[in-house]
Amino acid sequence: MPEIIIEAVKVSKNFGGLIAVNEVDLQIVKGSIYSIIGPNGAGKTTLFNCISGFYTPESGDILYYGTPIQGMPTDFIASIGISRTYQNVRLFGNLTAMENILIGLHTKLKSNWMDALIHTPRFVREDKWSMEEAVRLLDFVGLKGYGDFLASNLPYGMQRRLEIARALANNPRLLLLDEPTAGMNIQETTDLTQFINRLREQLDITIILIEHDMKVVMGISDRISVLDYGIKIAEGTPKEIQANTRVIEAYLGPGGAALAEKYRNQRQKSHA
Amino acid sequence: MNKEIIRSSSRKGLLFGIVMIFLVLINFHIMAATMISKLLGTNVLRGAFPEVRYMIIFLVIYGLWVGWSAVSREGKTITKLLEGLTAGITTGIVVGLFGLILFFLLETQTDVRRYLTALSFPSINIFLLGLRGIGVPVLFGLFTLTGVAGGMLAVGLRSKFITELKQSVRTTVINLRQRITNSLPDKVNQYGKYGIYLILLIVLLLLPSRWGSYNNFVFGMVGLYVILGIGLNIMLGLSGQFMIGIAALFAMGAYSVALLNSPFPHGLMWGFWPSLAIGVVMAVIGGLLLGLPIMRLRGDYLGIVTLGFGEIIRILLNSDLLTDLTGGPRGIQNIQQPTFLGQPFTDVSYAYLIIVAMAVSIFLYYRLENSRTGRAWLSIKEDTLVARATGVDVQKYKLLALCVGAAFAGLAGGIFAARNQFTGPNDHTLMVSINVLSVVIVGGLNSIPGIILGSFALRGLPELLRELETYRLLVFGALLVFMMLVRPEGLWPSTRPDLEEKGSSGLKEDIDAHEEGRGNA
Repeated sequence: MPEIIIEAVKVSKNFGGLIAVNEVDLQIVKGSIYSIIGPNGAGKTTLFNCISGFYTPESGDILYYGTPIQGMPTDFIASIGISRTYQNVRLFGNLTAMENILIGLHTKLKSNWMDALIHTPRFVREDKWSMEEAVRLLDFVGLKGYGDFLASNLPYGMQRRLEIARALANNPRLLLLDEPTAGMNIQETTDLTQFINRLREQLDITIILIEHDMKVVMGISDRISVLDYGIKIAEGTPKEIQANTRVIEAYLGPGGAALAEKYRNQRQKSHA
Repeated sequence: MNKEIIRSSSRKGLLFGIVMIFLVLINFHIMAATMISKLLGTNVLRGAFPEVRYMIIFLVIYGLWVGWSAVSREGKTITKLLEGLTAGITTGIVVGLFGLILFFLLETQTDVRRYLTALSFPSINIFLLGLRGIGVPVLFGLFTLTGVAGGMLAVGLRSKFITELKQSVRTTVINLRQRITNSLPDKVNQYGKYGIYLILLIVLLLLPSRWGSYNNFVFGMVGLYVILGIGLNIMLGLSGQFMIGIAALFAMGAYSVALLNSPFPHGLMWGFWPSLAIGVVMAVIGGLLLGLPIMRLRGDYLGIVTLGFGEIIRILLNSDLLTDLTGGPRGIQNIQQPTFLGQPFTDVSYAYLIIVAMAVSIFLYYRLENSRTGRAWLSIKEDTLVARATGVDVQKYKLLALCVGAAFAGLAGGIFAARNQFTGPNDHTLMVSINVLSVVIVGGLNSIPGIILGSFALRGLPELLRELETYRLLVFGALLVFMMLVRPEGLWPSTRPDLEEKGSSGLKEDIDAHEEGRGNA
């Protein structure tokens, strides 16, 4: 049986009267790419925020390697190997790309302010290591030579990749990517898709993905969950999801499934 | 087209005229003339009035400025002169009308000082250039002429010839610098930076004993403000906590040294050095106690609470309640002077002490900024939520920033109290906090050269130009507004360090080896 890295058990989160996430169950296998899709406002980002500790769910458990982590401080959750990116890029804009990654390395370093003041051997060693590690990560995401640019001055696609590099600096076992291809053109999207695949292969990271671009989702996901109005309406492989009536209706409205069927038949006919 | 030009330049003239009226109403013209008089070598006694010719110089300068600023960058020479003329005439009319009113006040001997404190008869008389009624047309003519002259000046200085001259001078200088850099051996270029530091150090070492105790006092104050500025910058610039009550932490350092080294109220004589250390520790404790309850506050709210903290400390020190403990409103006198290696302290020794303290503060600041701790602070300032999700323990680091910043403030406070041989509640008012805040913001957040520059600009200059004293708040305000408009990032904005090369140097060998390996295979 494959190892489960993270599991959500009947997780619910309300905002006042609005139930943003309603008793959602998830089981994510280590080393897989798992996508969460759904219409706008379905509660996908809220679920991410629950996992990464921004929100505490009202009920339910989030188990990381079998240990409940819901309600833990965000920085603790980061330190045990869960990193994330944000729907709208949230870099430290007035700092350089290098500094952004170095901040990402925070949990991997131990030297404190005393070490910094007197430059203890530990500080010197960690300083050297962290600089090299940051350059290595820059190189990994293809930003070599851009390290001393202010993050806010980088083009959008690079900002996205820098954000991933910052998340990777934490050496995560679980990476949460919130709409990584939003606002990208086709070429950038293709590059990023390959990049995500490379992440899994080279770094052995489990990835949860929120994404609206169905081509990306269907192309790289092992499993997909569909949320609508905070409820999980379907789960399965890309094939199963594509054929699921409830999913199509969630996107296209009632009767959408029949419409889609018609459209598909027409296309098949014209092809034939 | 001409109508448009006349309208815009007359609007500018109107603005300058109104500003002039305001300046006269607050007696600024007398101060400006006094300063010009002093610059030209004629001293003016306190309370006395300067000679009329210096007033004329002031008005001419102002008029030239009117003409200069009315001239637009593009267009024909003749339209530019027209712009200068229009602005000059408008200012002349406005100021002339105002002069007419002043003249009537003078003639009828109407004393308006009950309402406009600064408008005394001698002041009016000098503004009318001592000519009474004739002064009005003279003022009008003066502004008209200087408006045109200012316009001509602008046309002349912005002409193609001058621009090209400037350009060529600039390229020559750059070329020369390039050539010098190229001709010198690499070693010299590499260590040239340190050479400049060395010269600076020698100057700093020689100056205090040469330039007299007054300058030592003034620049000592500048140095203390640099230390305070560094302390505040750690809170505000690095970790982004809007702290206004730094005077309270300054007071902790000052009172620790004062109370432990004076005959009254406790009669303790612990000596300066241990009590300075205690002062620093006390300030840190103060920062910690302040920090614990306000950790969840942000932005304006944090500012209000810390402002309150500063005032609470000052009011406590000022109250009768604690007179037995802290000396009350009268403060603490006769603070025992420190000795160093058996030598008693003079003003020169204090100057050296402050230089050393400043150097150490700057050194420690740089070490902190370029470390994991400093970057964690910066991340909190940039985006607290993301910093937390990146693994930074936000509360801990915010508290740490307050404590470290407080240590610097305590250090400055301790030296301050001992140097003055006195400290009282009035040394730790809200104005101190606001001054430090202005120093950091005007100079440039996170920029040590900026903070030093800001201290000189806001603490050194007003002390040196004593006349400004009355107008310091005005100049403060004007300077802050000016800074916001022209240099919102401060006099000397901070830059981020270049780090990529630092990390690449170690990797280079690996990569080279890797490439080589591939080549062999």
